[in-house]
Amino acid sequence: MPRWIPNEPGEEAALLEALGISSVEQLFTDVPKKARIGRLGVGPGHEEREVVRAVDQILERNKPLSRFANFLGGRISSRYSPAAVDAIVSRSEFYTSYTPYQPEASQGMLRVLFEFQSLWVELTGLDVANASLYDGATATGEAVLFCRRIHEGRRFLIPASLPWEEKSVLLNYASGPQLEVQEVPYDDRTGRLDLEAVRKAVASGDVFGMLADVPNGFGHIDEGVAELKGILGTIPLVVSADPLSLSVLEAPGRYGADVVVGEGQGFGVSPSFGGPLLGLFACREENVRAAPGRIVGASHDLDGRRAYALTLQTREQHIRRSRATSNICTNQSLIALAFVVYATTVGPRGLADLQRSLAEKARTLASALGGIDGLQAPRFDAPYLGEFTVELGRGTAAEFLDRLRRRKVLGGHALADPRPGSPPAPERLLVAPSDAIGAKEIEKYARAARAAIEAVGRSA
Amino acid sequence: MTFRQARWDEPDVWDLAPPPAGEAPPEVPGIPDRMRRKEAVRWPELGELEVVRHYTRLSQMNFGIDTVPYALGSCTMKYNPKVSELLARRPGAADLHPYQPEATAQGALEVIWRLEKILARVTGLSEVSLQPGAGAHGEWAALLMVRAYFRDRGELDQRTEVLLPDTAHGTNPASAMMAGFSTREIPSKEGCVDLAALRGAVSDKTACFMLTNPNTAGLFESDILEIAEIVHGAGGTLYYDGANLNAILGVTHPGRMGFDVAHLNLHKTFATPHGGGGPGAGVLAAGEKLGPYLPVPRVVKSGRKFRFDYDRPKSIGKIKTAYGNFGLDLRAFVFALTHGEEGLNHVSRRAVLNSNYLGLKMGKYLPRPFRTLVKHEFLLSGVPLKAKGVRTLDLAKRLLDEGVHAPTVYFPSLVEEALMIELPETESKRELDGYIAAFERAVTDSPENLHAAPRNLAVGRIDEVLAAREPRLSWKDLRAHPAKVETPGSVRPAP
Repeated sequence: MPRWIPNEPGEEAALLEALGISSVEQLFTDVPKKARIGRLGVGPGHEEREVVRAVDQILERNKPLSRFANFLGGRISSRYSPAAVDAIVSRSEFYTSYTPYQPEASQGMLRVLFEFQSLWVELTGLDVANASLYDGATATGEAVLFCRRIHEGRRFLIPASLPWEEKSVLLNYASGPQLEVQEVPYDDRTGRLDLEAVRKAVASGDVFGMLADVPNGFGHIDEGVAELKGILGTIPLVVSADPLSLSVLEAPGRYGADVVVGEGQGFGVSPSFGGPLLGLFACREENVRAAPGRIVGASHDLDGRRAYALTLQTREQHIRRSRATSNICTNQSLIALAFVVYATTVGPRGLADLQRSLAEKARTLASALGGIDGLQAPRFDAPYLGEFTVELGRGTAAEFLDRLRRRKVLGGHALADPRPGSPPAPERLLVAPSDAIGAKEIEKYARAARAAIEAVGRSA
Repeated sequence: MTFRQARWDEPDVWDLAPPPAGEAPPEVPGIPDRMRRKEAVRWPELGELEVVRHYTRLSQMNFGIDTVPYALGSCTMKYNPKVSELLARRPGAADLHPYQPEATAQGALEVIWRLEKILARVTGLSEVSLQPGAGAHGEWAALLMVRAYFRDRGELDQRTEVLLPDTAHGTNPASAMMAGFSTREIPSKEGCVDLAALRGAVSDKTACFMLTNPNTAGLFESDILEIAEIVHGAGGTLYYDGANLNAILGVTHPGRMGFDVAHLNLHKTFATPHGGGGPGAGVLAAGEKLGPYLPVPRVVKSGRKFRFDYDRPKSIGKIKTAYGNFGLDLRAFVFALTHGEEGLNHVSRRAVLNSNYLGLKMGKYLPRPFRTLVKHEFLLSGVPLKAKGVRTLDLAKRLLDEGVHAPTVYFPSLVEEALMIELPETESKRELDGYIAAFERAVTDSPENLHAAPRNLAVGRIDEVLAAREPRLSWKDLRAHPAKVETPGSVRPAP
């Protein structure tokens, strides 16, 4: 029996005695016999020492990213985080606390969340941010429903280049209220949104919102995004932005975004095989009462001391039930803490320097891959920061990546939807040099890529 | 024991080093001018020690399970084992990218696969997915599965209604709304589902009945088998809200009770830390009927290898990036391995024993609605205090002054001035007696003291109405609307 359940001699007997019963089973007489079960069949328990050994043995079957030249990206990053960040996140006053329902007892976390909201407001150029959502993809899904609350219509526009996972999540969010999702095509040379198609869709009416991502699903910066609001007019524009890129890219609020969402995991937490992540959400002040999720506001106590509390709760499920703006109860407070501590430790100049250095690595990689026959890198003729798309002239992305992996290179991830029955797609991969990548690893990638594509050529 | 929380007059982070306006950001070649940031991000540049000190001070103004008992009902605030924190930070767990090849992440896939198998046993539902980000996310996804199921049967246009008892967690009706259903509340009788009312409410419009068992009054719905019969008889599905699972491990399970689909909160029953409100970790478990609709990918074992399986034609697709909160799944796996059969059984027995003991002792001070045999949590009503001009809210604030966290208050709404109390199995009898003594001091204190509480915390009673009436939600708002009465204060001498 784990030490985690107290078991002082006589302790349970004293509890039973106080209740005037002889066995704890007497407390379960309200469970009908026909509903009772026998054994669970989950095996015996183990001592902590044994569990550590067993779990370590399982984890040894994983190969951590540090053993590879790592070029995996997408919305999830493995960049280094200063040890100070995890030291703060590991303070159990933070990580063992609950949602701050009693604000006087939880000023620490409330102030952290207020700082976090302020930081996302600053990065996005919008007015208000919420205290986080599950991840970037669900934040985008919530943004669709948010747009519908602030604007009439049945159709929502998304870039056809949106990564398949995000598209699938978004379609699920749109499916409840039966909203239509329409894909805006991209230019085959540049990957840029077809603005003419946006104009046409808007002119045909019934559009209640549009999503654009920065960088886009191909890793590129599409300056057409800055022109979208001019086309959309009063129709809300949602921009999904990588927070690090906002250290050097224009705040989307400045070019008309009404909502800015994003994935914040890269600021201070490890990738942990995909979770926990951090959903970012900001909007304009006039729409804050339509926003999903927890929001922290400033107030004061009876002595006039500044104090913080969860606010605008009449939007929320525990008050409004079926008329709430969202079912959100859990946010990602602890990851929001990591986000703000990371940004504050690194500082705004540090963030911009990091983005610049990642962009340099990506450019070096692109020129190293550019001369290889049989692959196109970058596939699209458009600006980029830390990542871009490679297209293979022969073979499959899966095979190519597997060959690279055997040479200790994690060469990116395939962009195609892996679900059987998905429409056929070009063999493309997104490549993002991590901050641990240097000239040596880039050469290694280029060598491995050349060998892989040649091997495919031979077998073809 | 006298309790005093730290009270740092700690400035906000931007006041430590006010960032100047109008700085140019660094040049990055190749960015089109239209997309280039014109003004550098305004955020303070601080030394690392200043950062650490700032956030450490803030942490000292925050309750956590490691410092105080947290009696929040339905939140199951149990001890978060330290060994789980240790293991979740191993490079073999933390330094893994979800898109790295399956061959390089066999251990992670094994953790997911094995935890899913354990949870299938615990729920009595054979198909499990760990993809939901939290409980409510699982509720919503389950209802999307219900939609897909009725679409396949050609009944979607007809089955538009989700039924739920008036004791349901607020997330239930909100999830139903997001999934495109209308909701209908079933009134309770003596704190449990009124069977006659349920019989009268089900019809060929019923898509699903969402139920927590034990419910939020802490009562086991003893009519559960009849409830399942009524719902299934009308062609509907039965949904199990697993927020209160901590009461029934090894006693019964959703499968045996007749549920078709369930969500669990690993951050409750399986002790993953709540982190100040999140991250959570949700689980979806389904029987044969709804199992094919679970999100992709599923983890399967072929021979000795684990792999992701996307070939599930009926699946609703993705509900979240990657495969769920793996870092938390690992912690839950550690919890399950450590407890095993006997331990998990003991969890619920001790949690229910604690709750009944507390109910007996605290029931001396305030009335207990409904029957007194409860499961993991119980209710009190603060109505008698109203005669002294005292509300449940005052009692909650006064409890904080004792160095214990208040119960959940004003929920469920069918009990006036409700307090919902849960101290799970990791609390010793000594801690329970300490909580009872603190409660006695609080509930018998003078109205003046109750109204003036809290006094021992970093701040006094907060004007929450003001926060909502004149929202100030970021430092920009603070600068634009400085309140006259406030004294943000500073521990440092003014420069």
